[in-house]
Amino acid sequence: MTLLLELRSVSKHFTGGMLGRDRKVALEPLSFAVDPALPGITAVVGESGSGKTTLARLLLGLIEPTEGEVRYRGRPLPTLSGAERREFRREVQAIFQDPYEVYNPFYRVDHVLTTPVRKFRLAVTQTEARRLVEEALRVVGLRPEEILGRYPHQLSGGQRQRIMVARALLLQPRLIVADEPVSMVDASLRATILGSLRKLNEELGISILYITHDLATAYQVADTILVLYRASVVEAGDVELVVKAPRHPYTQLLISAIPRVSTVRDWGAEDPKSQDGPPAYGCKFADRCPVAMPQCLAAVPALYRASPRHGAACFRLSEWPVLPPEDIGEVLMPARRPGSRIVATTPA
Amino acid sequence: MSGSVLRVDRLRVAYDHPLGPVRAVDELSFSLRPRERFGLAGESGSGKSTMALAILRMIKPPGRIEGGAVWLDDIALSGLADDEMRRLRLAAIAMVPQGSMNSLNPVARIRQQISDALADHGERLSKRDAETRIRTLLAQVGLPPEIADRYPHELSGGMKQRACIAIAICLRPKVIIADEPTSALDVVVQRQVMETLGHVQAELGAAVILIGHDIGLMAQFVDRLGIMYAGRLVEVAPIRDIITAPRHPYTRMLIESLPSLERKGELRGIPGLAPVLRELPSGCAFHPRCPKAQARCRTEKPAVRAIGEDASVACHFA
Repeated sequence: MTLLLELRSVSKHFTGGMLGRDRKVALEPLSFAVDPALPGITAVVGESGSGKTTLARLLLGLIEPTEGEVRYRGRPLPTLSGAERREFRREVQAIFQDPYEVYNPFYRVDHVLTTPVRKFRLAVTQTEARRLVEEALRVVGLRPEEILGRYPHQLSGGQRQRIMVARALLLQPRLIVADEPVSMVDASLRATILGSLRKLNEELGISILYITHDLATAYQVADTILVLYRASVVEAGDVELVVKAPRHPYTQLLISAIPRVSTVRDWGAEDPKSQDGPPAYGCKFADRCPVAMPQCLAAVPALYRASPRHGAACFRLSEWPVLPPEDIGEVLMPARRPGSRIVATTPA
Repeated sequence: MSGSVLRVDRLRVAYDHPLGPVRAVDELSFSLRPRERFGLAGESGSGKSTMALAILRMIKPPGRIEGGAVWLDDIALSGLADDEMRRLRLAAIAMVPQGSMNSLNPVARIRQQISDALADHGERLSKRDAETRIRTLLAQVGLPPEIADRYPHELSGGMKQRACIAIAICLRPKVIIADEPTSALDVVVQRQVMETLGHVQAELGAAVILIGHDIGLMAQFVDRLGIMYAGRLVEVAPIRDIITAPRHPYTRMLIESLPSLERKGELRGIPGLAPVLRELPSGCAFHPRCPKAQARCRTEKPAVRAIGEDASVACHFA
């Protein structure tokens, strides 16, 4: 059994300035695999500049890693043949943040749906193509008669984003990389879109990588979570453990900063320390960390495995066994959670 | 009502369109008490930002204010000449705009942008006094004095938003309108910026209108919340009441649609779509999406009913 997609110690640096001397680390070495036999939803959470979009682009083969390799079904991406590359492009689909920019305003929205059908020869006849498109729209809770034949500006952001989910779905992918799919959509419609993603995972066995800065939706949708901070993984594991009992001070800060819908005003008490930028060496969070110790500036903390399904990169956990970077997948294995479900509502 | 610093009375704003005018703000009324933090929440297109621009008389064609009045203390803003209104903006009612990155001048240092604002409103300060004023303003929003020499692109998102707050408070306004001031920021930075806004508001004794769609942010920041739907204020209530016992079905569904960090699997969307203003449903604009809709809701537009001093609701059955 082969892994669908695998990152092997993949890192990404961007160079700039004269003679490429300014080097910016966008992603520290990361290993990660998507196993088609265990389809789950993994959330990648972090603030802007944490490396989440870099990770998505690496997985999609849109940028090349500086070091390490990305493998699709056991073959490094650059060595794929034309036919294999085509298969990769079908099996791994992307949904991007902006449901406005991905459409050409001069074409009807049908265009984004019929193009993949044609390019990947999914249907022989016009009727069959139409049927496929309509079916995909229904799966994401849209009524084809209200969507087809319209121009992008005639549809809402939520509808447009669901069309993108439908487009991804047409190709029967094994993995969908969704980069901030609901950040530009109204709160009342977010649930519906996230519900369609959840449905694709549960009913069609599609793995989903949900990239977001919003921990609350990540908690609702994902099985496992990866928290990135300044290009490094600071915490990873079962979403229930990471959100309910975060071990890294950054994850703790992130959770405390979410304004809650509550009559208890518990927001905005403590402010993090000065943000001088990351220290030259050691833990990248040390400058903001309320519990930083001298050793945090002396060495880079490894990921410590605080429980079988939970790891965090903080020296306060150093009594626990080290989780080697290549084994990070072990804490990210989806475990089926009983009884949790999103109620996705379809248009009235 | 006496004792209000700003009073919006049956305000109507329309956008002209070849097929007839579209009403974006429909008979909207509320009043803001001194020092109050009032939230305006709703989905995109519900008229929140139009409302803010209408208060400032900054609606541009094809939009126009159709009717109603805005009172600042006992001055009717609609009766002011254009240049009187211009002087009043920033000095009495200041706006913290949505995208700080787009509202600062990219080719001017922060010092220049603050002193322009002061000079433009007739504050003639000596170089030294201006410098002291700028330092004080920056300190008030938690920025070090050297920020004055920076250009906007040299600042982070949070710093830019604080610089915008510094400009907004430079003439000690009575009312600060903050239009989604943190929508582009990360949560940690959002908390810092909102804290800054809270501090300067307390220092100035100003009232704040916070516009946004994040009910969590409202819950943590405002005293009273107004919920907008299709250009109308469908519910207003003290924040505690609106969270614990929302009266309007839309308010209730909006709150229920928010992802919680406490309980998993409770995410519910609101069925259907926000209405297109040009083809507004008859009767109550929310009726096609409302689980409690009756025959009456399809024909009769519910009036805004006052509930005590500081709450109101527009629903036949609330």
